[in-house]
Amino acid sequence: MKEVSNTMSIVACHDVAKIYHQGAVDVRALDDVDLEVEAGDFVALAGPSGSGKTTLLNLIGGLDTADAGEINVAGRNVREMSAAELAELRLRRVGFIFQSYNLIPVLSAEENAEFVMMLQGVPAAERRRRAREILDEVGLEGLYDRRPSELSGGQQQRVAVARAIVADPAIVLADEPTANLDSETGRALLETMEEMNRTKGVTFIFSTHDQMVMDHARRLVHLKDGRVDRDERREG
Amino acid sequence: MSIELRMAWRNVWRNPRRTWLTVAAIAFACLVLVFMLSFQLGSYASMIDSSVKIEAGHLQVQAEGYQDDREMRQVVRDPAAVERALSGIPEIEAFTRRASAFAVVSSEDRTYGALVIGVDPVHEPEVSSLESLVREGSFLSSTGSSSGTGGDGALVGELLARNLQVGLGDELTVIGQGRDGSVAATVLVVRGIFSSGIDDFDRSAVHMPLATFQEVFAMGDAVHEVVAVGRDLWDVPEIVRRLRGALAGISQTPPLVVLDWNELMPGLLQSIQVDLVSGLIFYVALILVVAFSILNTFLMAFLERTRELGVMMAIGTTPGRLGRLLLLESLFLTGVGIAVGIALGCAVTLYFQVHGIDVSGANELLARFGISGRMYPRLSVLSALVGPLLVLVVTGAAALYPALKIRRLRPVEALTHV
Amino acid sequence: MSDMSEALARFGVYLRIAWRNLWRNRRRTAVILTAIVLGVWSMILLGALMRGLAEEMVENGIRTLTGHVQIHAERYRSDPVAAHPIRDPEAVTATIREVLGPGARWVSRVRVPVVVDTARKTGGATLVGIDVEREPELSFIGPDAIVDGRFLEPGEAGAVVVGRALLDEMETELGHKLVLLAQDAHDASVSRAFRIVGVYRAELEATEKQYLFVSKEAADGWLALDGAVSEIAVELADHRQAEGAARKLRAALVADGVGGEDGQPFQVASWRELLPVQRAVLDIFEGFVQLWYVVVFIAMGFGVVNTILMAIFERVRELGLLRALGMRPGAIVVEVLMEAVMMLLIGAAAGNLLGWASVAALAVHGIDLSAMAAGMELAGLSRVVYPVVTRSDLLLANGVVLILGVVVSLYPAVKASRFTPVEAMRQG
Repeated sequence: MKEVSNTMSIVACHDVAKIYHQGAVDVRALDDVDLEVEAGDFVALAGPSGSGKTTLLNLIGGLDTADAGEINVAGRNVREMSAAELAELRLRRVGFIFQSYNLIPVLSAEENAEFVMMLQGVPAAERRRRAREILDEVGLEGLYDRRPSELSGGQQQRVAVARAIVADPAIVLADEPTANLDSETGRALLETMEEMNRTKGVTFIFSTHDQMVMDHARRLVHLKDGRVDRDERREG
Repeated sequence: MSIELRMAWRNVWRNPRRTWLTVAAIAFACLVLVFMLSFQLGSYASMIDSSVKIEAGHLQVQAEGYQDDREMRQVVRDPAAVERALSGIPEIEAFTRRASAFAVVSSEDRTYGALVIGVDPVHEPEVSSLESLVREGSFLSSTGSSSGTGGDGALVGELLARNLQVGLGDELTVIGQGRDGSVAATVLVVRGIFSSGIDDFDRSAVHMPLATFQEVFAMGDAVHEVVAVGRDLWDVPEIVRRLRGALAGISQTPPLVVLDWNELMPGLLQSIQVDLVSGLIFYVALILVVAFSILNTFLMAFLERTRELGVMMAIGTTPGRLGRLLLLESLFLTGVGIAVGIALGCAVTLYFQVHGIDVSGANELLARFGISGRMYPRLSVLSALVGPLLVLVVTGAAALYPALKIRRLRPVEALTHV
Repeated sequence: MSDMSEALARFGVYLRIAWRNLWRNRRRTAVILTAIVLGVWSMILLGALMRGLAEEMVENGIRTLTGHVQIHAERYRSDPVAAHPIRDPEAVTATIREVLGPGARWVSRVRVPVVVDTARKTGGATLVGIDVEREPELSFIGPDAIVDGRFLEPGEAGAVVVGRALLDEMETELGHKLVLLAQDAHDASVSRAFRIVGVYRAELEATEKQYLFVSKEAADGWLALDGAVSEIAVELADHRQAEGAARKLRAALVADGVGGEDGQPFQVASWRELLPVQRAVLDIFEGFVQLWYVVVFIAMGFGVVNTILMAIFERVRELGLLRALGMRPGAIVVEVLMEAVMMLLIGAAAGNLLGWASVAALAVHGIDLSAMAAGMELAGLSRVVYPVVTRSDLLLANGVVLILGVVVSLYPAVKASRFTPVEAMRQG
């Protein structure tokens, strides 16, 4: 068992396994996975569908529980946390961006961004200010009052990024964020995420099978059949 | 906090058609309840008032035991003293004296047993509705024969008059037993015929002037009943309490007792209670049907948003908070339904409160309760709110079901939900 | 013929599709089914209780010496004394048998007002001279009603049976004598003493205070009736037949030339005329029950429409696809309606079952309201309520649910048929 050597590791996984029971067959979505991510890194988990990247993200973010192994996020052992503690973790330390349906449809862009801050207990005036700020930063000035249905796919994903960032998390987990976007919009989104990573130092871990996305990552972890296949460091 | 309120409200209107149908169901139930309760409660007060006005009054002072035994000798010896006590209570509106005896009443052709009641022609109309029930001829007058054609006047029930084959101006011979056991006999001239709609009363009652009755039946100054009405039905318990105190100073054998309308007409309150309780059963059944009818709306609001709820959990919303949100939505929805229902219910009720509902088909039945022709619902704070409140409680409980289900929702399940 | 079998086969397919669609979202279907079941159940049970109350009242009235139809001499109605009897009862009963058949049930009585004198009190009452053997078959009075002493013997003279309440009011006892004063058939005043041989109880206290029973022969002898009777009461199978029977009898009596001595026809009245209070109650309750059915339906109707709407909106894609494949809109309407009908049928069936079961359970002992006896008496109702379901009630309740249910389901059905393939693609 590898020891946690780097105290700057914001995420540390050892011997992580996740098994799905489908009738008579057991599917090992993840098998003996080791992964350490440094704070501030920009990591892509790549692989074909079924390789376990989404599963791994869910485990790191505390949305699901591993069957074996150890997962430390921001210094805390996720496997030993209760449901309430996990929710707290997701609220304060982890941000999520999904492929689609990220936003609450009845709330405007600004309200979507404010939502997590409201959960965190940030006072209203400050919430508003920070929400507008972040929306500006991701390039959505003036669109504060638009509902998701009134925004394009790319714009919706930007709001998702804004919402994930504005809550001041340690890491942002993104599950195939560009999958529903055309290449131009996708690239723009990725560049926005890169900027957030640079200016605010937030760690990004995303899963993808889009080559363009993989090219932007500073570290590329390939997963195959639930195991780590290759782990490249790339400087972009 | 207000984001949650905004969210809940907007979520309610995500599917306007579904929401309106649900609102309609809730509003319908509320409308029915408001109207029916107004009708029931509105009619009870007037029912009691009308029934007691026919004979019993709001309360009576009698000798103890008279109500059950009806013996001639169970008298109120000094009615004037009782009336003085009554005068001292401001809530009393009017009072009068009565005495009665069973007697054999004969006309030229027929003989029947009847109840002869001596009433005070001046004060009786202030207390009872007897005068208004006169169908032919006139009410009694205090000087006995107002038209001077000899013989004291009698006011006879319609059915009895028919049985005796008498009309106005005919003579009746009354023979009974006086207070001292002597034979009491007199001749009366039929001056008026009344009809209350209550067969038993119309078939057996003959009214005559009290003064004459006391003379004929050797009563002296005594009477059997001092009958009083108060300004308002609700004042009666207080009046009774004060009266009992005031009468403590008057001693006689048998002692005096005060009976309120409920003791005088025991069936009245009970029949109202039966009506109320049976109505309640119907209302509860209706509300239960409505609750299940709208439960699917609450369920769908939850089920069709599973993915969205999953995302909310992913960004840090606790299941408890989600449950609260859902409950808030349900409350808003129910609230709209109830508001609409109360508004419509009040409107419909007020319309009929002014115009009345034609119930003349049920005249014979309602005569027993002193009501005829039209009935009027009466809107009150109670009738407007109790029904909808019940609806709120039950539909609120229905809304709890999905709200509680949410607490067991697991984020990853929700997210992968199709 | 193959057209027919093809249509039938298609129908079968739609049926299967509709059935499966119904259960696609089990919980949702179960919830609305519960609403329908509760609705139908409460329609039947509560309607039955209301009707039971009303019918009980009517039956009580009828069994209290009214019968379904009564025949009197014309003058008797306004002057119910011995001087106005039916002088030739055999002619009347012959007509009755002619109109209603040899199995007709009737009984004749003497009924006159009397003054009752005991040692301590005087009162008024009604004397009824009855056919001791036959009267108990039609009325409440009989050996079963006796709580103290015994019933009358056929033809017994000098004996009277009184109600418990009258006994108490007159302050007398079993075995004592009552002196009765009345007017006989010639309008002469007569009096006679009768010994109290039995005490009876009736549903209503008012009844007990009103009626004294002697044998018809005793009354006949005392009142010099010479075979005449005051009234003839006819019993029918169902109180609903009364109006019709009364009309037929009236016509038959006139046709047969059977009338009073002054040439006036006999008065033939149904209970609806004789018991206006009971008639009013029955009519009101009838109206109320029908109103109740409609109200319950509306309450569940909103839910039914909403649920079907939810179901079809979930299937926009599928329905659009079906249109793209060429299914006609009419067929979609039919299919959705079938789903609705199945839902309503299942709910109604279960509701009927529960209704029948609960009515049967309550019919054993009824609901005891003796605690509210005084109130029930004032309203003329009896103390125990038994539920009563009529065929027309069941028909109406189920009719309302099924027919109106289909009518309101037309809205979502037509909506479903309008989903175009374009909309369907968009929903994905």
